[in-house]
Amino acid sequence: MLRLGVYVTMRWLIVLMIVFATLVSSRVFHIIFPTTPVYIICGIIAAYNLVFVGQARSLQAGEVGQVIKRAQTSGNIQIILDLLVLTALMHYAGGIENPFIFFYLAHTIAASILLPQRSAYALATLAVLIITLLVLLEFYGVVPHVNLQGFVLDNRYNDPSRVVGVLVALATLIYGCTYVITAVSGELRRRQKEMVRLKDQLLEKRAMELEQASGEIAKLEDERRRFSRFLGVVAHDLQSPLVATQSFISYILDGYAGKITDGQRDLLERGVRRIDGLLTLITDLLDIPRIETGQIAREMREITLNEVVKRSLEGLDNLAQQKELTLKVELPEHPIKINGASRRLQQVITNLVSNAINYTNEGRVLVRVAENEKDARVEVIDSGIGILPEDLPRLFNDFFRGSNVGSKGTGLGLSISKRIVEAHGGKIWAESPDPETKKGSRFSFTIPKKPMAEPQEKRE
Amino acid sequence: MKPKPKILVIDDDVDLVAVMKGTLESKSYDVIVAYNGKEGLEKAKKEKPDLILLDIMMPVMDGFNFAEQFGKEPSLSKIAVLALTSFSDSLGQPFPFQVAEYLRKPLKPKELIAKVEEHLKRKGL
Repeated sequence: MLRLGVYVTMRWLIVLMIVFATLVSSRVFHIIFPTTPVYIICGIIAAYNLVFVGQARSLQAGEVGQVIKRAQTSGNIQIILDLLVLTALMHYAGGIENPFIFFYLAHTIAASILLPQRSAYALATLAVLIITLLVLLEFYGVVPHVNLQGFVLDNRYNDPSRVVGVLVALATLIYGCTYVITAVSGELRRRQKEMVRLKDQLLEKRAMELEQASGEIAKLEDERRRFSRFLGVVAHDLQSPLVATQSFISYILDGYAGKITDGQRDLLERGVRRIDGLLTLITDLLDIPRIETGQIAREMREITLNEVVKRSLEGLDNLAQQKELTLKVELPEHPIKINGASRRLQQVITNLVSNAINYTNEGRVLVRVAENEKDARVEVIDSGIGILPEDLPRLFNDFFRGSNVGSKGTGLGLSISKRIVEAHGGKIWAESPDPETKKGSRFSFTIPKKPMAEPQEKRE
Repeated sequence: MKPKPKILVIDDDVDLVAVMKGTLESKSYDVIVAYNGKEGLEKAKKEKPDLILLDIMMPVMDGFNFAEQFGKEPSLSKIAVLALTSFSDSLGQPFPFQVAEYLRKPLKPKELIAKVEEHLKRKGL
C-alpha cells in the first residue's frame, strides 16, 4: 500500500519531467518531433494515476488479507500500463535514438522491487521484447520512425550494428538490474514471510497453551470445590455426634436426669473435657486442608489490624484473670490497614495469646502491634516458662508439643498459625527468652501491608 | 390462663431433638419438632410458633435455605429464630434472615432455657 503510494508519486514526477523535457527540447534546443502525442500520453498517465490514487484510498478500508491481494492486482496493472505507455512515448520521441530509452531500466527496477522474482524476470523479458518489437517495426518501416531532427544524425535507427548494440546493451542492463533488485527484495520478502510465519506459530501456540491452562484451572477449581464439600460433610459427621454427646452429658450434669453424686460428676466432667479436646483436634485437622486449598486467598479483604487484635482478645481477659495474669495490649493510635482474612488472623492471635497465658504462671502477657514501611507486625510476649533451645526449631511442626509442658493441646495450633501467616505472605517466629526482658518467650509474626500478588505461593 | 408458648425445634439430630423437647416441656412449653428445614417450614406455617430453635447444618434443607424461605413469608415475621451451630465457620457467614441470636452447640440445658425465656420475654410472652 505504502509502496504503491510511492509509485503514484513517482508517476506524477515523471509526467512533470516529460512535459518539462519536451518543452526544453522543442523550444530551447529546437529538436523537431511530434510534441502533441507526447502531451496526450502525459495526459493519459495523469488520468490513470488519478484512478490509482482513488483506489489506494478505498483499499485502506478493508480486511487485511483482501487488501493485500487487491493491492497486488492493482500493482500488476500499473506496471503493465506503465510499460505500454512508456513504449508509446518512446515511439513518438524518436525510438531507439532517444537517450531516454534507458527509462525502461528505471521502470524495471521500480517494478522488480514490487514483484516476486519470477514475475520480475517475466516483466524484464516483456520490456526487452516490446522495445525490440518497436525497434524492428521501425527498422523494417512497418511503423514510421520519428526522427529527432536536430538531435542525432539521420538514419541512425537504420544502422543494424548500432541498433543491435544498443538493444543488447539495454537488454543486459535490464536483466542485470532485475537480478540485483529481485535478489535483494526477494531476501527481504523471505525474511518478512518467515517472521510472519513464526509470529503466527507463536500466537497459535500461546493460544493453545492458554486454552489448556484455563481448562486445567477449571478442573482444579472443580476438584477443590468437591474436596471442600467433602470436608464440610466430614466435619459435620464427625462433630455432630460429639456435640450431641456433650449436650446429653451436660443435661445429666445439670440434674435433668436426676441427682448425681460428686464422683459421677467428676467422671462426666472429665468426659466432657476429653470430647472438647477431640472437637478441637477435628477442627484443627480440617483447618489444614482448608488453608492449603487456598481458603485464605478467597477470604482476603482490606482489614484493620487494630480491630482484628481487639476482637482476638475478647474472652481471653477472663482466662488471664483466672490465672491472675495481666493481659496488656499496645496498639498504635492510627489504624494499620492490611490485606487479610480477618477470621484466620484472629485465630493466629488467639492461639498465640492463649498459649502465652497457658504457659505463664505469674507476671504478664503483652500484645504489641507495630509496623514499618513494608510490614505490620504483631508480637506476643510473656513472662512464662519459656521454650527449651532444642524445641525452638521444631516449634511450628505438625503435632509438636514442647518437652517441658506436658500434653496440652493438639500440637497443631502453631503449625496452623504458620500456614495462615505464610498464606498471607508473612513470617512467624519465636524467641526464647524474650530479647528485651530476658525471660519467658516472644512470638512475632508479620503481614505485608501491600496487597499480595500471589499469596498462595508461600506454602510449604 | 395464658396459652403455653409454642416452640418449634428444627434439628436433624434425633437424639438431640428428643432431649431438647423433654427439657423444654419440663418448663411447660408446647414443643413441636421437625427434622429438616423443609419440614420445619411447613410446620412453622401451620403451627405459627412463638419461637424457633434452628440448627444450621441439616440435610434436605439447611438452616440457611430455611431462613431464606422463611424470610419470604410475611405471616411468619413475628417469630423469633435462635440459630444453633457447632461450627465457628458458619458464624462468619451472612445470614439471609434476621436471626435473633446465634447459640453455639453444645448448649447446656440451663443456657437453652435462659435464652428461650429471654427471647419470649422480649416478645411479651
